[in-house]
Amino acid sequence: MPIEKSDLLQGTLDMLILKIVALGPVHGYGISLRIRQISKEVLQVQQGSLYPALHRLEKRGWLEADWGESEKGRQAKFYKLSAKGRKQLVSEESNWNRLAGAVANIMETAQ
Amino acid sequence: MSWWKSLFPKRASDAQMNSELRFHIDELTDENIAAGMPPDEARRRAILEFGGHEQVKEELRDVYRIRVLDATVANLKSAFRFIRKSPTFSATVMLTLALAIGANSAVFSAIDAILLKPLPFPDADQLMRVDQYNPKTSSPFHMVAPVRLEDWNRLNSTFQALTGYYTEDVSESTSALPEKVTRAWVSPRFFQVWGVEPAPGREFMPEEETLNGPPAVLISDRFWRRRFNADPNIIGKSLRLDGHLTPIVGVMPPSFLFPNRDTDLWCPIPGGISYGPPRENNWFIVIGRLKPGVIISQARANLATVQAQLGREFPKTDAQLSVGIEPLKEITIADSRRSLWLLFGSVTLLLLIACTNIVALLLSRSAQRQHEISVRFSLGAPRGALIAQLLTETFLLAFIGSGLGLFLAAAASDIFRSLAAQLPRVEEIHLDARIVLYSLACSVVVTLLCGLVPAIRGTRRSLSASLAQSSRSQVSGRNPLQRLLVGIQVALAVTLLAGAGLLLRSFQQLGRVNPGFDAAHILTFQLSMNYGETGDLKKLRQFTDRILETLRATPGVEAAAISVGVPGQPLKYQTEIKLTEGRAESEPKLMADNRLVSASYFATMRIPLLAGELCRETDGPPTVVVNRAFADAYFHGAPVIGHHVQSLNLGYSGPAEIVGVASDVREIGLDQPPAPTVYWCAPLAEPGTYFLVRTRNPPMTMAETIRKQIRDIEPQRSLYDFAPLEQHFSDALAENRLRTILLTFFAATALSLACIGLYGTLSYNVNIRRREVGLRIALGALRGQIVKQFLWQGLAVCILGCLAGWIVAAASTRVLSGLLYGVSPSDVPTLSAVILLALIVAATASLVPAIRASRVDPMQVLRDE
Repeated sequence: MPIEKSDLLQGTLDMLILKIVALGPVHGYGISLRIRQISKEVLQVQQGSLYPALHRLEKRGWLEADWGESEKGRQAKFYKLSAKGRKQLVSEESNWNRLAGAVANIMETAQ
Repeated sequence: MSWWKSLFPKRASDAQMNSELRFHIDELTDENIAAGMPPDEARRRAILEFGGHEQVKEELRDVYRIRVLDATVANLKSAFRFIRKSPTFSATVMLTLALAIGANSAVFSAIDAILLKPLPFPDADQLMRVDQYNPKTSSPFHMVAPVRLEDWNRLNSTFQALTGYYTEDVSESTSALPEKVTRAWVSPRFFQVWGVEPAPGREFMPEEETLNGPPAVLISDRFWRRRFNADPNIIGKSLRLDGHLTPIVGVMPPSFLFPNRDTDLWCPIPGGISYGPPRENNWFIVIGRLKPGVIISQARANLATVQAQLGREFPKTDAQLSVGIEPLKEITIADSRRSLWLLFGSVTLLLLIACTNIVALLLSRSAQRQHEISVRFSLGAPRGALIAQLLTETFLLAFIGSGLGLFLAAAASDIFRSLAAQLPRVEEIHLDARIVLYSLACSVVVTLLCGLVPAIRGTRRSLSASLAQSSRSQVSGRNPLQRLLVGIQVALAVTLLAGAGLLLRSFQQLGRVNPGFDAAHILTFQLSMNYGETGDLKKLRQFTDRILETLRATPGVEAAAISVGVPGQPLKYQTEIKLTEGRAESEPKLMADNRLVSASYFATMRIPLLAGELCRETDGPPTVVVNRAFADAYFHGAPVIGHHVQSLNLGYSGPAEIVGVASDVREIGLDQPPAPTVYWCAPLAEPGTYFLVRTRNPPMTMAETIRKQIRDIEPQRSLYDFAPLEQHFSDALAENRLRTILLTFFAATALSLACIGLYGTLSYNVNIRRREVGLRIALGALRGQIVKQFLWQGLAVCILGCLAGWIVAAASTRVLSGLLYGVSPSDVPTLSAVILLALIVAATASLVPAIRASRVDPMQVLRDE
């Protein structure tokens, strides 16, 4: 069952976007596609949350954006990770891993 | 430093948003087509799947919108919450700022009223004081002959009008007891120059301004209220002035305090009138109003031409004179400028110290709030918003503080008036919109000064670290910024203390000066007279003698004398003296101060005669006494007695024989070294003459007896200005005392603030390091060591601060030079004492937290852990 917007932890979407953009310049449609594909259709991001998140991250200076041509020759806005964004990603990732590890640990030990 | 970028974000344009979203829909459509849908259906489904296009766009716009108003209101709300939550902290900050901003606004209100605002007359910058100079004398008396004033007024082309006046004290005897009132005789065009009209009532009529015309008097608002209880039907009532019934024709407005705030009456005097040789009888003070657009240098050039023309016409009297023109405002505020700016400088330093203190407080505060801030960060608050919130809190504190400070500023007028009544324009100091604006500006500057550094530091992104570890396990290392702040406070306080110390020392030295005469037990007073009486010298002499005889015959009086000007008071009457015996051209000119005294002056003041005899008051050839400085400066040990001197500007006498040499006394001010002086012995009182009485008992106890004795022989005259001579000295030092008292007060406040800052920082440090200290004690550290360590921490900062303060003080000695007497601006004992004081206070402030640190209970700490 796909996880809806409200189920996604606040801040987690940002981390996911950063992670995907870290792989190379990509447009909004591409990001939503990738999240869907990689999560094997578990996570489905509403465009209503994706685009505000992208713009917020850009405003914070974690993403940089450029207009370019898509593979089908359309004008698209491509996002890529800035140096600041890369640092942010590292810190969020380690936070996430700790949190996830801790939660998993509890779930296992408490059985 | 990219936090500011978040305050000014880039905005995405509407068109860009549209094309970005359209791209997404196009891709979705392609996807659907690839899945086998017909194009129309594919597009419909894509739009459906995408959701509300406009809604997404609106959310995007939201990302960029800075909701200034919403954010400000929210920030203010949270700031109020913050103040409520930490009342002690907030009260400390607000009170500190109330004091610092209030003192600053108070001094600024004085500067604004006295130095910055124009005089309270219409187009006051056109008003000029016009003086006549004789380059041969350096006398500050630049009175002008009324005839010459009329010539200037007629011949110049740069002034709308020139007018003149002089003041004297008269007896007003409508009621049972004669009352002394101050009257200004004003020449025609007086009110035209000022641009002020009486209300109720009218100006003088032209016929009232002629010789033997009908009498008329204008009264001051103050006099109207005091004597007539502001009677609206005042016009037509009369005053009896020196026996002459004079009808009141009008009341001047309250703001018209010219020539000075004591003036009660104005009476007209015909233009060009004279009581002696018309071109040598200089007794008018001249005020002129420039034509619009004329600048002062044009007026100077114009009147110089006019005077040169008069010099050709009257070579004997006018050829040597030159004309000086100064803005009336400059003359009025004269010496207050330096004192006021000095005070302003010190309150500004005080404000800086207060700010530094608050920065330190806010820093330790934001360390405590680290947790709250990191939570807000993790919830996605941008740094700019957090900084704005912290700044709003500081601004709210500063704003309330400056509001409280306005109460202090509102009292400024009273404070200045009670500390220095002689300060010019002091009645114009009051709270107005300018002062409120100034306070507001202060609070904005304070917000930026105090708030910015803590806000930027406090919102540094140490989010993960701070969330993860609570402050419990934190072992604080050094905190260089807080120590720097304490050091700056100490340095600024030491600078202020040094200034205050020097002023205090100087004041103390002034009190110790030996004036050369015996000022104790001397009572001074004046008697109402008018210049008309000085025409008949014989009668004047009889009058003066009779008064002096009566005084001497009064029981309890040892001696009595007259003197034009109080001894030890700034009154210079310097002229060039000619020797009848002649003098080589190569010798310097003889310049001397002239003192008009009775022969009894020396005995009354106990001034010893060093050689020769007292001057004689007989009708024979006039004689004078000179002082030792005169003999030393111009005769270099050669005999002085027997020479004949003549003053070039003094009306009184022809050549007078020098018969005695008196010892040097500080006639023109306690802070002025004795200058060459000639004492002209003339038992001739004139308006402004002081009677000096040596009494056996405390001087003021004799005042009533003397008043009665004189009333018996001169019932029409009023006696006034009764005061011990020492009171005059104290008055003369009023401005000196004002700046000394205020600067000392500011310095003491500065030191206390620095002390609080030091104490606060150390206490904070001790608090953070409690665990470490507890552990060390548990491991066997001696409590003495702990005390020593923390004490040294405080003292080290303080010593560096003192050193810096000394350097700043030494670099700014120029500010004080000229304001000091008998102490050099780099006086080592004073500066050492100041630093010692600062160190003692700092040691005390550090000792308390240091001892508290040593009392940490290791068991308690370990249990907490």
